[in-house]
Amino acid sequence: MGKSVLLADDDQLLASLLNFRLKKGGYSVHHSANGKEVKEYLKNEMPDIIVSDIMMPYCSGIELIDYVRNELKSKTPIIIISSAGNEQNVLTAFELGANDFITKPVSPTELLVRIAREINK
Amino acid sequence: MLIPPNQIKISLISAPEFNLEYLWWLTILFFVLAVIYFVGVFVIRNRITSKNSRTKDKKVEFSPMINEFLFYEDSNTKEEKMNYLNLKVQIRELIKNNFDRDVLTEVILDLRKDLSGSSQSVLIDLYQDLGLHNDAYEKLRSGKWQVVSSGILELTTMEVEDSYGLIIKFINHRQSTIRKQAEIAVVNLKEEGIKYFLDNTKYKIAEWQQLKLLDVLRHKPNYTPPQFALWLTSTNTHVVLFSLRLIKYYNQNEAEQSIITLLKHKKREIQAEAIECIKGFHFVNALLTLKLVYTKASHDIKIAILDAIGELGTTAEVPFLENLQLTERNFNIKSKVIGTLNKIDPERILPTKNIATSDFYDVELEDLTPKVENDAVDILEEVPLHDTINEISTEIEIDVEGLKDSTEIVSSDESEELDHQNKETIIEELVDEDLPEEEPIEQEVLLVDSLSKPVTELESKIELEAEPKVQQIDINKVNSIDDIDLSFLPHIKSDDSITENIEATTTKINPVVETEHEEQHKEDLSLNFLPFVVEQTSVEEEILTSEKEDLELAFVLDDVSIQEEQEEKSKLNTNKGPEIMIDEIDWSSVHTNTEEQTEVIIKDADKKEAMISFENDGISFSPNFMRKKELDAMVLLENISELGDCRELILLYQIIEENNSDVVVNRANELIQKFSYQSPRPNELFSNDNDLTNSVFAEVYHLADKETRHMLLDEMMVVGDSKEIELLESILESGSKSLVAKATEVLEHIKTQSALDIETTSTSIDEDSIFNLDFELELNEPAEQKNIEPSENGSTLFDQLCSMSNSLYNKLNG
Repeated sequence: MGKSVLLADDDQLLASLLNFRLKKGGYSVHHSANGKEVKEYLKNEMPDIIVSDIMMPYCSGIELIDYVRNELKSKTPIIIISSAGNEQNVLTAFELGANDFITKPVSPTELLVRIAREINK
Repeated sequence: MLIPPNQIKISLISAPEFNLEYLWWLTILFFVLAVIYFVGVFVIRNRITSKNSRTKDKKVEFSPMINEFLFYEDSNTKEEKMNYLNLKVQIRELIKNNFDRDVLTEVILDLRKDLSGSSQSVLIDLYQDLGLHNDAYEKLRSGKWQVVSSGILELTTMEVEDSYGLIIKFINHRQSTIRKQAEIAVVNLKEEGIKYFLDNTKYKIAEWQQLKLLDVLRHKPNYTPPQFALWLTSTNTHVVLFSLRLIKYYNQNEAEQSIITLLKHKKREIQAEAIECIKGFHFVNALLTLKLVYTKASHDIKIAILDAIGELGTTAEVPFLENLQLTERNFNIKSKVIGTLNKIDPERILPTKNIATSDFYDVELEDLTPKVENDAVDILEEVPLHDTINEISTEIEIDVEGLKDSTEIVSSDESEELDHQNKETIIEELVDEDLPEEEPIEQEVLLVDSLSKPVTELESKIELEAEPKVQQIDINKVNSIDDIDLSFLPHIKSDDSITENIEATTTKINPVVETEHEEQHKEDLSLNFLPFVVEQTSVEEEILTSEKEDLELAFVLDDVSIQEEQEEKSKLNTNKGPEIMIDEIDWSSVHTNTEEQTEVIIKDADKKEAMISFENDGISFSPNFMRKKELDAMVLLENISELGDCRELILLYQIIEENNSDVVVNRANELIQKFSYQSPRPNELFSNDNDLTNSVFAEVYHLADKETRHMLLDEMMVVGDSKEIELLESILESGSKSLVAKATEVLEHIKTQSALDIETTSTSIDEDSIFNLDFELELNEPAEQKNIEPSENGSTLFDQLCSMSNSLYNKLNG
């Protein structure tokens, strides 16, 4: 079994596509469509890497980073996906401890490479 | 006549009869309509919900299929390849249904937004492979603008280049949404699209649309922009404007002449954009056109032009800008002109607005430069330094060759002093011939020019040295007196200040003069230089009005000197002769004394004084004396000239009566003439709108410190009248406790005085008041013919000021 990836995105189409690509890349993927599900999942299990959209229902990507770093005290790599042109979000995400940041449109292959890099660090 | 109540008949309002059956029918009708409405809403809502649900399900169904297509690789296993082929067959079956086709199209369009790289390319290929673009073509044929627009958008998003030929037809569509969508599609689909668009568009290109088009071009990979200068000749002004912006964005600076020509375009936007291009590309050749265009340009364009001139211009543009500075009335533009001038020539124009006068800074200046500033400094700074003098960077030394070395004021002998007097007399005569006395203002201007020119033209060096006692002047670069513009002398004569002027030009000056200080003196420029000979008391009066502490007198007369005045005069007359040539002056030989206690000592007090003495082609200077009475009168007249107004006319007539001296009488007549021109009608003079009815203390009071304010209140107590009441009342409202107490006292005093005055004054004044007459003073009436009695109290504006200044001076000096 490969490394586990938590994919948090409320966009079903994109999530499905990334899910497919990551699985094809050898990762074990768990998809959550909103922040509440993500938190529930993280209470029970900590993946090797978290890939999260910044805009999600119930809990944003920024809040998720804060939750993982400050409440769970976990150093799990976090990659944030967001729309382009939101510099403040990027800065905040990095301040809170995000490891990488990818802007939409996303290249699935590029994401795969970044995930691999973060996991292997 | 009363009508019994039983006989009064009032017809009551009767309600119409209503059939209750109609009411029931109406109720049933509305109920049925309500049911139909709610059922309709429910049905439609359900249909929409079910459709969304079906769409969602279909998307979930299509999603893995699309994923398989997107990430299919040749290296896949046989099972995967078989699965891929099955999916292909399956999806082709599915898209035979219109709803499925629409959902699949929607899915692909959504994914197109979120994906980049190779996945995006595969997605686009899949879209066309499945023939979904044919649906978009069908949309283009629709009669509904929103369908056509969505079709164009779909083809643009999926980059169907084959649709280019179909979409260009919509470039000039009358429906703006279709047109704008088509414009973006044309520019997006093919590289030559922008050319076609700029060539063919007939409609306006909105600002937002320009931004979107620019954004499309900017994000086109490997895009080579065409020469947008080709469209500067377009008949569509919006195309020209957009082309200019593209030229600027892509830095295409080949079309210099076209852009310069566009400065003359009638549309402001194009003018403004052309100016931006010119500025950006630094087209210096456009400066002439910019200046030509300026006069007829609008407000914004003028500012843009000035900005461009500031960027591109050189000092050659300064005359143009200076002319604008004088002629331009608009505040913003005038400010921009000044800003541009200073940009081209830094600090060409210095701040002038709300700069306090020099006396405002007396104390501070004294602290900063306690001993550096002497007489010469003051004289130099009082000279209205022209802008050009700013360019003099260091020192200017003036030396006239051939002058006699020994001509020092401090040690000159009697004969030399007489020569000095002779020469000065000659100069005065020459000046009298050159300039008419009727133009005092022009004389002032002449003096300004004449004082600045010799300095610059001779490339001289002025050195103002803060030597404690003696200042020496070297004038090396003047070969003859002809080189020196003596046109300033008339003024000196009229103001009895030739001595100091000579000092100003001959003093070795070290001009570390702060700009601010200079400006103050420019403002304070009064051409009342010190008289030839001034008594210490009169000098002190002048000092008080300017910078008392800084001014160190060039000459102080002792009693012996004053007593010998008559004798000197006679000697002076004997030495006067036109044959003496003022060819060469040894300015280096002139020395002046300075002392801290504002005194100048003539070292050799026994020597006879003469203003200018000539001896063996040399010139030396020494003080001249008038009779005390004459001198007093002259000093008074000069002060009146500076501070007085038409109200001093009576005093002037009085002076004429009391003095026999021609100089005094002439000067008084000049002033009478001057003030007669200024004379307002008496009614106006004492009207409420006239400032002269206000307290003379008001301005000084507001600038003064607390101690001075107390002194001013004391003065008001002595000389104040009802005009001071307003000021005093304002002090009561805002002053400190001590000031309020004092002001209350003064106010009561003045009110008491005013009451007394009113009682003693005849009430007939109101009836036959001279001020009710509407007349003006005769301008050219000889003063001698007038027999106007001076006022009994003599309390003119000038009297009050003099009295106040004396008190201030005495107070400051203990």
